[in-house]
Amino acid sequence: MDDFYAECDEHLGEVRSGLLIMERTIGKEAPDPSVLQRVFRNFHSLKGIFGMAGLQLAETLAHRTEDYVRALTRNETSLSEEGFDALTGATERLEQIVVAYREKRPAPDISALLDRFNSLLDDSQESATPARAAAVGLAQRVAEARARGLRVWQCLFQPSAALAEKGVTVNSARARAQELGEILHSAPRVESGGKISFEFIVASRVAEVDTATWAGDGIEIHEYAAPVAPKRSGPSESPPVAFVAPSHVVRVDLTRLDELMRIMGDMVVHRARLEEVGNRITTLLPTNEARALQEVNVAFGRELRNLRDGLMRVRLVPIGEIFQRLPFVVRDLAHESGKRIRISSTGQETEIDKYLVERLKDPLLHLVRNAVTHGIETTEERLAAGKPPEGTINLRATTVGETVVIEISDDGRGVDREGVMARARSAGMPMAEQPDTSELLETISQPGFSTREAADRGAGRGVGMTAVQSAIQDMGGELTMRTECGLGTTFTLRLPLTLAIADALIIAAGGQRFAMPQSVVQEITTAAAENVKILERNEIMPYRNGILPLIRLSTVFGLTPEQRREFPVLVLGTGLNAVGIVADRVLAQREIVVRAVNDPLLKVPAISGATELGDGRAVLILDTVGLMQTARQKRERHLASSPAGKVL
Amino acid sequence: MTQTVRDADAYILFELANTTYAIRSGDVQHMEMVEHITPVPNAPAHVEGVVFSRGQVVPAVNLRLRFGFPRAPYTLRSRLIVVQVEERRVGLIVDAAREFRNISADTIRAPNESITGLSGQYLAGIANIGDRVVLLLNIPEVIKSGVEVSSAEPALAEN
Repeated sequence: MDDFYAECDEHLGEVRSGLLIMERTIGKEAPDPSVLQRVFRNFHSLKGIFGMAGLQLAETLAHRTEDYVRALTRNETSLSEEGFDALTGATERLEQIVVAYREKRPAPDISALLDRFNSLLDDSQESATPARAAAVGLAQRVAEARARGLRVWQCLFQPSAALAEKGVTVNSARARAQELGEILHSAPRVESGGKISFEFIVASRVAEVDTATWAGDGIEIHEYAAPVAPKRSGPSESPPVAFVAPSHVVRVDLTRLDELMRIMGDMVVHRARLEEVGNRITTLLPTNEARALQEVNVAFGRELRNLRDGLMRVRLVPIGEIFQRLPFVVRDLAHESGKRIRISSTGQETEIDKYLVERLKDPLLHLVRNAVTHGIETTEERLAAGKPPEGTINLRATTVGETVVIEISDDGRGVDREGVMARARSAGMPMAEQPDTSELLETISQPGFSTREAADRGAGRGVGMTAVQSAIQDMGGELTMRTECGLGTTFTLRLPLTLAIADALIIAAGGQRFAMPQSVVQEITTAAAENVKILERNEIMPYRNGILPLIRLSTVFGLTPEQRREFPVLVLGTGLNAVGIVADRVLAQREIVVRAVNDPLLKVPAISGATELGDGRAVLILDTVGLMQTARQKRERHLASSPAGKVL
Repeated sequence: MTQTVRDADAYILFELANTTYAIRSGDVQHMEMVEHITPVPNAPAHVEGVVFSRGQVVPAVNLRLRFGFPRAPYTLRSRLIVVQVEERRVGLIVDAAREFRNISADTIRAPNESITGLSGQYLAGIANIGDRVVLLLNIPEVIKSGVEVSSAEPALAEN
């Protein structure tokens, strides 16, 4: 069944990329025939696999879409805006049906789309009928009849004197053929030996014929098979080469890769152990033996790293997978809002872990929706501001070292600083007098901050920037923003290439070790006990020019902290969201193999997984987002329970 | 029910608070000594923590606490029985586990009506082996989450 989903994805993806190319030519010239063919084949294949999976609705829709694309390939109709909309609509709906099927939800309705295709096809038939008969060859008519579920029969009638005596002539044979169904084609044939026979090609609902009774009338009947005569190789006849799947590609189930990654992780751990043991015993060994051991260990480590990199690379897929979807979203939204928007993208080939790609879809969609809804102005506003009437959204992906950087920029109005501040204040959120951009981003990402348009489709579904932020942080990533009033906004997303192995700080709190993903730690500083103040049950310390709220791991986890005069503080987040995590000690910096902790018994806040450092003991990995939420909830509970705390 | 070989299933017998329990051996992944349990803060009280078992992170449930018995220190006889139910793998800490034997279906009877309530839910049946009484565990029920074991006090049946 996974194969089914993978195939659907593949074909829908190809359709999307084909549609993107076709969109450029709407209303200008006919679409590139090879692209049309490709889209046609994909809908055709989709129809087939939907049929096999018993997804009738999807099959019907794919079929109808295929009909329309076929009409396009034959120039029976030209690609209009409406036609293109119907195609993108159908693509989207097919995907929705597949998703609904996977999630065992009822499938969405397709009747509106079918109607659209029907009217598109009717138009094309009216306008193209005279030219059609001549243009459409027998092979195509046969194919069409079969597509309608008809059987196509070939009747060969050879007149003879004996038959003529019985009153059987070409005319009676033709009449008999007509009884069977619609005659697609009839022609006399000259057989070897100079005899003449007549051929009728009949499309019929009759699924089986009694050849004997036909033979009695001198008619030889069998299912029509296209003549194997050499084909004329017209441009539309040649099979599009692009369709031959590259045979050197192997499709691998992600869980198998996960398993390899797990074994790999174990090896990393074992090697660390080997090194420890090695270090302990080198003093007992003769120098040359000790050196040999060390060399082997170093070489082993190096190869292991290569292996790890190779494995990670296998999991990478081009980010274009998501980028391709976004233009359709933009198109729809722009249509609805009456804005004119162009979307361009670069770096589609940038690769990122498959796992992350799946999780990146929603946040990216949301950011692009935001750009359309909040960023880009209406055409009138743009003209008034002296900008080109068409707004631009640009997607860019690049790899920088072990990080993937994705930028979503628009040339819209920019974030309305005053508006955001006013709204934040009215919602009772803390707000700096002169917020910098990062503080602005934090404010609009706060739960509860919603803008005027929050209910419209653009921002829809109540996800909002809060969800975007938390999704990105869950992936170990980071979101930043640049905005300039009147010129536009750029969101920059930084993500690790892969999640399976990460750099981490190993810290101790309450006698237990924890791993903190290093990517989220901005800075490690030290706090002296006497500098920590208590404000409304919050511990705070002076930090840079402001204050830093502190979260003690031992408190969150109910552990007994070591009594220390000075302790390390790990600073997470920046600006308003900065928080200091207080540990007892920072023990080491290590490369860790991340193991998910999924069991419902272990669903506890602030723990995201576990790792092992070579001694066989599990070390819990801190979930920083959860940690901050837990701390915030604790604070709020305290505030709610102590009326004095509310006095500000 | 007709007597066939299939009617005798293999079970692993273990001891907990002086009672013998049995788990169908097909549900058991493996057993190991109890060592290096990493406590998980804020987890349910009967979850001692996590262990690394064959490359996987597995929660370790203290069955004594789960069933409302007092905690007992781990000894050399203590065992972690790792069971697999569907996608989940969970470790159960028991006092001792040594026996492996077939229990034929006709010696198993439904749990006594009088054993209802919290501990009754965990039982799939009761078997007599010689003069011993063995309690057959309903593993999915035992490792169900969301059921907080608050005290040794017997709770009322939840259904």
